[in-house]
Amino acid sequence: MNLQQTQWHNATLWMVRKKRDNLAMQIPEWEELRRLASQIKMHTLSHLDRYLVQFTDNAEANGAIVHWAKDADEHNAIVLDILNRHKARKLVKSKSMLTEECHLNPFLEANGIEVVESDLGERILQLMHAAPSHIVMPAIHLKRQEVGKLFEDKLHTEKDNSDPTYLTRAARQHLRNEFLTADASMTGANFAVADTGEIVVCTNEGNADMGTSFAPLHIVSVGIEKMAPNHSALGVFTRLLARSATGQPSTTYTSHYRKPRQGCEMHIVLVDNGRSKTLGNEAHQQALKCIRCGACMNTCPVYRRKGGYAYSYFIPGPIGINLGMLKSPKKYANNVSACSLCYSCNQVCPVQVDLADQIYSWRQQLDSIGKANKIKKIISTGLTCLFTRPRLYNNILKLAPVINHIPRFLIYNRLNGWGKGREMPPFAKESFTQMWKKGKVKK
Amino acid sequence: MSSKDEILAAIRRNIKTTYDLPEIKPEGDGYTDKIKQFTEVSRSVAANVVVLQEGEDLNQCIRALYPEAATVASNLPEITIQTIDPDKVETPHQLNGTMLGIVKGEFGVAENGCVWIPQNVKEKAVYFISEYLVILLNKTNIVNNMHEAYEKLHTYDYGFGVFISGPSKTADIEQALVVGAHGAKGVTTILI
Repeated sequence: MNLQQTQWHNATLWMVRKKRDNLAMQIPEWEELRRLASQIKMHTLSHLDRYLVQFTDNAEANGAIVHWAKDADEHNAIVLDILNRHKARKLVKSKSMLTEECHLNPFLEANGIEVVESDLGERILQLMHAAPSHIVMPAIHLKRQEVGKLFEDKLHTEKDNSDPTYLTRAARQHLRNEFLTADASMTGANFAVADTGEIVVCTNEGNADMGTSFAPLHIVSVGIEKMAPNHSALGVFTRLLARSATGQPSTTYTSHYRKPRQGCEMHIVLVDNGRSKTLGNEAHQQALKCIRCGACMNTCPVYRRKGGYAYSYFIPGPIGINLGMLKSPKKYANNVSACSLCYSCNQVCPVQVDLADQIYSWRQQLDSIGKANKIKKIISTGLTCLFTRPRLYNNILKLAPVINHIPRFLIYNRLNGWGKGREMPPFAKESFTQMWKKGKVKK
Repeated sequence: MSSKDEILAAIRRNIKTTYDLPEIKPEGDGYTDKIKQFTEVSRSVAANVVVLQEGEDLNQCIRALYPEAATVASNLPEITIQTIDPDKVETPHQLNGTMLGIVKGEFGVAENGCVWIPQNVKEKAVYFISEYLVILLNKTNIVNNMHEAYEKLHTYDYGFGVFISGPSKTADIEQALVVGAHGAKGVTTILI
C-alpha cells in the first residue's frame, strides 16, 4: 500500500472500531457479557466431545446428514462427493473462512465444479482472483475505482461509474441469476447449537439465505470449535457479535437452519483440521474461543497500517498471528513481529481471547523453534554484555553523541531498519546519570 | 476407526482442564418503553416502523406505503392485496420478481430491532427475494433483549427461522453503506 492508501485504510478501520465502541457502550453489562461469553466458550471447548455428539444426534434427528472431516483434504473430498452424488455443477457459496482454510474453491474447480462466491466482497475478490484481506470486510483494501474497473470488465457496467450503490445493484442482478440457477448452496456457520442440532448463520446481505432458498442441496462447513451448548448461550453471543464486528446492534439476518427445506437435503461437515490438537495446548487453546468478528484487526495499529496482505497466514491481524502459529510455527513465525504489544486486541475481543499474551508467548518460543532473528540475537547478547557492566556502559554513553555528527549514509542505510521512513532521535550531550551527578536534575 | 471416532478420541486425549458452564443471567434493566426503543433502533438500521392506527385499514395502509408494488406475495388471510400465494408456488423460483412480500413476525427485540420469523410459508424465499418486505407484528410482543428472545424461541417448533432487522445491506465497497444487497431493499414493520 502507498502512503495515501495506508492513511485511508487506517482511518477507515478506526472508524469501524469507533462504531464498535459506541454500540458496546450502549450496553451497561457489556463487560459481564464478555466474561460470560468467554466462560461459555471455555466450558464448551472443555466438553467438546460431549457437545459434538449431542449436536450430531439432534441434527440427524432433524433430518440433516452429518459428516466428520479430520483435515482439509477429507473435508474437500466429502464436499465433492456430496456434489457429485447430486450431479451438481454449480455451487453458490456464502462467506466461509473455513473453506478458505481448506482451499476448497480451487479443489472443486479442478474437479469441474463452478463455484460462485455470493458475499459482495468475496465475489469482487473471486473475480479478481485475489484472497480476502479481512475476515469480515474481505475487500477493505480496495478502492471503489478498482471495483468499478473490474465490474466494467466482468459485469459490463458503465464506463468509469464507481458509485458504490450502482456497483452493488449490478452485483445484485448478476448474483440473483446465480442464486436462481445454482444446483447447490454452501454456507459456513457462526454457531452450531448442540441441544437443538441447528446451525446459525449471520449475514447483512442476505446471501446465505438467498442461496439456501433455491438450491435443492445445502452444505454447511463448520469448524468443531463453533459449538454452542444451547439457546441461552446464543443470547450472549448474538449481543456481542455484530456490535464487535461492524458496530451494528445486530446483523440484518440471523438465520437458524434446523431442518432441510422440504424435499431438499442438508449436509453438515464438522471439520477438525488441527483444532483438537490446539485443545491440548493450554498456553494457546484460547484461540479456539474466537467467534471471527474481526474486532482485533480493526483496533490493531499494525493491521490498520499494513493491511491483511502483509501477513503470511490467510487470516491476518492478532487472531491470525496466533492461528498461523498454531498451524505451523516454522512457516508463519514472521507474523509474530507484526505486533506492538499494545494489548488493544485483548481489550476489544468479545470472548476475551488473550491475543497479545499469546503473541508474546510465541515470541518467547522463537529461539527454541529455530526462528529467532540472528541479528536481534547478536544485539541482545551485546546489550546483555553492556548492561551488566556499568563502567563500560557509562564510557560508551559518553561517546554516543559523536554519532550525531557522522555522515548520514552511515546511519541511514539498509542495515538500520529503524531509519526507514523516520528520523532517528539524536543522542543527548549528557546522560541522565551525568546530569544527576552534576545536580542538574530538579525535582 | 472412523474420522468421527478419531476426532472424538483426539479431543478426549487433549482436554486437560474442564470448566463449568456459568449461570447466564446478565444484569440489565428492561426498557421502560419497548415500542419506542424498538422503533428507534429499527430506524437506525434503515428499517421503517409504522403503527397501525385505531380503525385504520391494514391493506390500505400497506398500499399507501407501496403504491407501485404490482406483484405482492402473501399467505396471510387478512391480506387482500396479494397477487401470489407463496404457499401455492411449485418452486421458489416462481417468487422471482416479487415486488412486495407481506409476512407475519412473531415478536420483536427492543434492543436491536430484530423480528423473529419462524418459517410460516411454504417457501422461505419470500422473506429474501421480495424487493420490499412488510412484517406485521403485534406491538405487545416485544421483548427487551436477545436473552429474552431466545427464552421465547423454545416455544416455537421451526425447521427454519430467522431474526430480521431491517433491509439487507453491505459496506463491502469502501465501507460505503448501500441498502439493498441481495435481500429486501426496504423493510417496513407494521405494529398492530
